[in-house]
Amino acid sequence: MKRTTQIQPTWCPGCGNFGILGAIKQSLDKLNLQPHQLTVVYDVGCSGNMADFIYSYGFHGLHGRTLPVAAGIKLANHQLPVIAIIGDGGCYGEGLSHFVSLARGNHHILVITHNNYLYSLTTGQMSPTSQKGTKTPSTPSGSIEEPFNPLASAIINHATFVARGFAGDIPHLASLIEQGLNHQGFALLDVLQPCITYNKNMTYQWYRQHIYDLQKQNHNSGDKKTALAKALETDKLPVGIFLQKKKPAYHQQIPGFPDTALAQQDISSIDISSLL
Amino acid sequence: MNTSFNWKIAGAAGEGIKKAGLIFAKTCFKHGLSVHGYTEYPSLIRGGHNTFQIHASAEDVFSPQFKLDILVGIHEKATQYHQSEITPETITLSSDNLPLMKLVKQVKAHPKMKNMAALGASVFLLGLSLDTLKQTLAEVFAKKGQPVVQANHQVAQAGYDFASQNFKTQAKPAIPAKTKTDHHLFLTGNQALSYGAIAGGLKLYVAYPMTPATSILHTLAAKAKAANIIVRHAEDEIGTVNMAIGAGFAGVRSMVGTSGGGFSLMTEGLGLSGITETPLVIVNAMRPGPASGMPTWSSQGDLLYAIHASQDEFPRLVLTPGDPQECFQLAKLAQNLAEKYQLPVIILTDKYLGESYFTINKPTAQHQNQRYGLINTQDLNSDQPFKRYQDTDTGVSPRPLPGQPNGVHLCNSYEHDELGYATEDSSQRIKQVNKRAKKTAHILKDPDFVNPQLYGPKTADQTLISWGSNKGVILQALKQLKNTNFIHFPIVWPFPTAQFQTLTKTAKKLITLECNSTGQLNQLIRQQTGLTIKDQLLKYDGRPFFPQELQELVEKLS
Repeated sequence: MKRTTQIQPTWCPGCGNFGILGAIKQSLDKLNLQPHQLTVVYDVGCSGNMADFIYSYGFHGLHGRTLPVAAGIKLANHQLPVIAIIGDGGCYGEGLSHFVSLARGNHHILVITHNNYLYSLTTGQMSPTSQKGTKTPSTPSGSIEEPFNPLASAIINHATFVARGFAGDIPHLASLIEQGLNHQGFALLDVLQPCITYNKNMTYQWYRQHIYDLQKQNHNSGDKKTALAKALETDKLPVGIFLQKKKPAYHQQIPGFPDTALAQQDISSIDISSLL
Repeated sequence: MNTSFNWKIAGAAGEGIKKAGLIFAKTCFKHGLSVHGYTEYPSLIRGGHNTFQIHASAEDVFSPQFKLDILVGIHEKATQYHQSEITPETITLSSDNLPLMKLVKQVKAHPKMKNMAALGASVFLLGLSLDTLKQTLAEVFAKKGQPVVQANHQVAQAGYDFASQNFKTQAKPAIPAKTKTDHHLFLTGNQALSYGAIAGGLKLYVAYPMTPATSILHTLAAKAKAANIIVRHAEDEIGTVNMAIGAGFAGVRSMVGTSGGGFSLMTEGLGLSGITETPLVIVNAMRPGPASGMPTWSSQGDLLYAIHASQDEFPRLVLTPGDPQECFQLAKLAQNLAEKYQLPVIILTDKYLGESYFTINKPTAQHQNQRYGLINTQDLNSDQPFKRYQDTDTGVSPRPLPGQPNGVHLCNSYEHDELGYATEDSSQRIKQVNKRAKKTAHILKDPDFVNPQLYGPKTADQTLISWGSNKGVILQALKQLKNTNFIHFPIVWPFPTAQFQTLTKTAKKLITLECNSTGQLNQLIRQQTGLTIKDQLLKYDGRPFFPQELQELVEKLS
């Protein structure tokens, strides 16, 4: 199946985005989703530049504003799987209010956050997930803020699928994307993404030494408190599914939400007499 | 013979002033009068000073009147606040001559029903029917049950009886009824705009509450199920506009509503709609600014901002309805033109138009809509990316919708080539800017474009020029102004230069009139036509012009 366009990716050689793109392709193949059968919404950043490379319906939006676009597409056509591709800056910084609100509403979208712990497209400033004390061009004396915890935030804000993957383990990441796409509700997949150009401390090797697979540890992903405890671990970084809950998605909770997609509703003749 | 009256009720916020005013307005409407209702209130839930005033007549009324026939003062200072509106003929009802609490106690009703006694007294004084008031009360309080309805009836009756014993000589003769209520509606600009949007195929409304646009959210949320639309109160105005754009990209007619502050937050989204060529309708119900400004008051300060908001240049429409009839018509048109030309359409209203009540002809029940720019799946037959931004004669390119086989494409907030892929190439950039810009000329030629309109005599010594909500006030003032006509702009942008020049070719003296401090339409006319209009009337205290005030200002100029 044709998955990519003729445009060559512009990422740095060795960028974690290559692994994420590979995992997306694998999961779409596995689910046998044709290019027209899904929409991908892209944020602004190195991750969002994937817009030119994936062959599917796509919308490359504004920095930090990808999630509401994705949720709007889903409301317009709820039969369509919708993926949001976004970075840690857009998702947990600029667009944090959308992340929290759409998670609380259980909007049915899969959010893949390319978390490289830095702003890379703007040449390596600190991001919301950077460790306190991180020295970057915008924080030469070290960052003052404590890092934002995406997984714990998603869990306490009622996301119904919360997972973390690693860009250096494509088969595992592909399986998480597949499960995220199958999930009926707000799915966060935070991806540990090495930035080989600006983040010299968090290399592929560093990640391999610091991650472990939750699903190999008999983790109970149905339990919120356990999931939260795992999300608060920082010495070692668990990967896999932290939490998965069954709950109707936002559109399924709207009284009288139509079976026919809003986008396909006939508007050729509208009678307003009952409204007046 | 007296054919109209101006009535006002004034009291503290939380005393049910607006509710009482609306009940009385509906009573007048039911009586068969043409009714205008105007409310002033501070941005508070309790305390402060609230008013609701009614101008009612057997003839069509389009605006409030400043001088009052009856003033009902519910709190001590009410009459003091409104000294300038009182004439020697004004009847003032207050605790001095109308003991509301005593009347309530007489019939053992709840003290909060006291205003109904004032309505009963007003009905007597104006020669209206007490039965009509009682009928309105029954409808308004139906949900609260029969005992509440009955108690309100008793209080109203007590007020009526008291007035008939004490104010007999002051009672005015009844105004004959003319308006047939089943052919008319009594509603606000915001309500009319909401219904018009539904008639135009609106399927998704997203908003964050902001006065004075909030009642659009309330109206649409209340009608969502019946109208088969989705209404979402979103996290903020940025989320709001981006969600509507996402839905628009997926093929749904969407709208957002806010006031100036929220509109400011939406401006990056406005540009997103512009460059991605995604249909979007934004309502900006104006209030005085900048920043938080005066939330519950009216303004026309955002005209040039609406035309220029967001960085760089792209085509858009700015619609400026003058009354609820136009709110309905233009909200419907906005849905259609946004889709037809794949661009943002801004509807500028204001607090005065959005929250005042007007009597209008009922719109027709059936509304036809065409879909624009979409593509049949059988015409799509390539597994190559679709040229979403193909250059065309009109600048509008066909668009498949997500989910359609063989229509795969990218919509892009970055400058892009015809396929939608990001480009920084010089010729591609110029090509896409020019492609988008082409739309403007076609919009101006569109048969559905609403050109400036002339009201009053074809030739006159002086011609008033205005836009938006001043229309009603000017039409009301034209009844008194000699040798004067009026040009109203229902759409200000793109600027309809040709039609404006035709209308003003033989005009003698031009006067622009706006509710802002710098004369934004006046500036725009000069910019677009080279015509300098030196006479202008400006008001920017949050209040609308009143017809008599306008008449005096115009007469002073001549």
